[in-house]
Amino acid sequence: MINRRVSIGEQIFYVVNYVILALFAFVTIFPLLHILALSLSSSNEIISRNVFLLPKGFTTESYRNIINDGRIILGLKNTVVITVVGTFLNMAATIMCAYPLSKKRLAGRGIFMGLIVFTMLFSGGLIPSFILVKFFGIMDSYWALWLPGLISVYNMIVLRTFFMGIPESLEEAAQIDGANDIYILVRIILPLSLPGIATLSLFYAVGWWNEYFSNMIYITSTGKASMALILMQMVQTVSDSMMQSGEGALAQQKRIVAESVKAASFVVAVVPILCVYPFLQKYFVKGVMIGSIKG
Amino acid sequence: MNKNIERGRSIKLEAQTSKKMRNVFWRDRYLYLLFMPVLVYFIVFKYIPMIGNIIAFKDYKISLGILQSQWVGVQHFVRLFHNEEFLRIFWNTLSLSIYGIVFGFPIPIVLAILLNEVKMLNYKKIVQSILYIPYFVSWTILGGIIIAILSPSSGIINSMLIKLGVQPIFFMADSFWWRVVYVVSGIWKGAGWGTIIYLAAITGIDAELYEAARIDGANKFRQIIHITLPGLTMTIVVLLILNMGSVINLGFEQIYILQNDMVKNISEVFATYEYRLGIQKMQYSYTTALGLFKSVVSLILIVGTNLIANRLSDNEAGLW
Repeated sequence: MINRRVSIGEQIFYVVNYVILALFAFVTIFPLLHILALSLSSSNEIISRNVFLLPKGFTTESYRNIINDGRIILGLKNTVVITVVGTFLNMAATIMCAYPLSKKRLAGRGIFMGLIVFTMLFSGGLIPSFILVKFFGIMDSYWALWLPGLISVYNMIVLRTFFMGIPESLEEAAQIDGANDIYILVRIILPLSLPGIATLSLFYAVGWWNEYFSNMIYITSTGKASMALILMQMVQTVSDSMMQSGEGALAQQKRIVAESVKAASFVVAVVPILCVYPFLQKYFVKGVMIGSIKG
Repeated sequence: MNKNIERGRSIKLEAQTSKKMRNVFWRDRYLYLLFMPVLVYFIVFKYIPMIGNIIAFKDYKISLGILQSQWVGVQHFVRLFHNEEFLRIFWNTLSLSIYGIVFGFPIPIVLAILLNEVKMLNYKKIVQSILYIPYFVSWTILGGIIIAILSPSSGIINSMLIKLGVQPIFFMADSFWWRVVYVVSGIWKGAGWGTIIYLAAITGIDAELYEAARIDGANKFRQIIHITLPGLTMTIVVLLILNMGSVINLGFEQIYILQNDMVKNISEVFATYEYRLGIQKMQYSYTTALGLFKSVVSLILIVGTNLIANRLSDNEAGLW
């Protein structure tokens, strides 16, 4: 790199840049840290509005409440089921879609791609899909979640691009040895595509973990509710109770305690994602780059 | 005689073509095997609902089923457009979308440019990682956190206001503030994600351009304006087109979580209205008409934006 004098102006720019970015980062992460602090603080401190970034009056009472309550744990269990099975189904279907479409020799490839991409632009709408689910009799079952959301076209296109990037010579060599397409897919293509597959799986998984709208409309029995759904109900009750005016100290106290429990629930919901986060990071920046540039 | 020969030839050609097709099909049989279930999925879960929109023109009753329900023509659409709520909801949807785009669209671009100028790789990585955490947190949690922070009785924002001697503000129930909260929370959640995409695009810009500009004496600011921004134009346009599609399909989750009874009049959008009337009140045909309207408008917006992008850039910038 050519050595040159950095002007005063540029030095100021760099410093200002660092500060601005630090500010953005802080604002981004602050709410999460605050919630963590709330969840570990005693209700007295919360009422006195002392809790800011660090817990005051450290207590794990809220977490014990949650474990005793059992609803959150049940929701957690359900969400895990929804996520794991859902992601598996997603990836299987996406691979089964992307691989054939990545072969130029497939007859009708253009038509199929066109049909599939069109679904990104125009959708059937909420009600017809809803009626369809009812028609299949899968209401109140997780299949109502997994089936309609089986393939994300965007993800499929990214995967297809990945597949197309694998040199044909590998495939040809295997074909000479007598391998058929499925063998090639499983033994050669998939192992080579692991980064892409890992990335997409993580995307799908995070999607399922946070999904609540389809849960809300299709799952009716409380025993099957996902954690996102339970959290939403908790948030709604607090939101509504805030609207009520003229309360005594006791009602306020109850609400504040509920605040801490709510905060603890949020932490429980977010922590798994944050654990997965480092792995996400490794793969997905690459994945986004491929998707955005080639897409 | 010639005609017979020609007919003979064309029949032979047809036979050859269909034989070729059968051969091709046989050669790729496993590919088709893999693809068939996928095709079924798309037909059943994507295209059949599209056809199902037909109930927008009927008076759908579950007991009668789709075929037996009565035709009512455009009655639902007429009712829809004359509904006074409709205009308000239309306006809400439009205005919230536009606020979101106007304020939210530039921020990832700015952030990406700033991040790109950071020399210390570690710092860059850390800030980047922090910035896109909110993208992976669901709206249930984010909404809950926001409500907690902005709570008039226990939220810390109001705590700080009180310490400054200002009256606590009930943000979530105020017509003006609710919209601010909506837009800001949307930015908070989505900015980091957009930043990555733009950063990726920036790294694709030829480094030699910067060197040349530096030699010509351009300072950092001018470099950014004349090299970085034009280099990002394609990406910006693509993302803008994609954003257009979501203008009218404004996300349900964010609104629903942040909504409460006191701000219904400014926060009710098509998606939430659809949910309330369709799923909760079971007015299926009416809401399907609404849904159809939404989808058509969305399609027009995307195609339209794409056409404009093509026109303005000699067919380079559009998605197709």
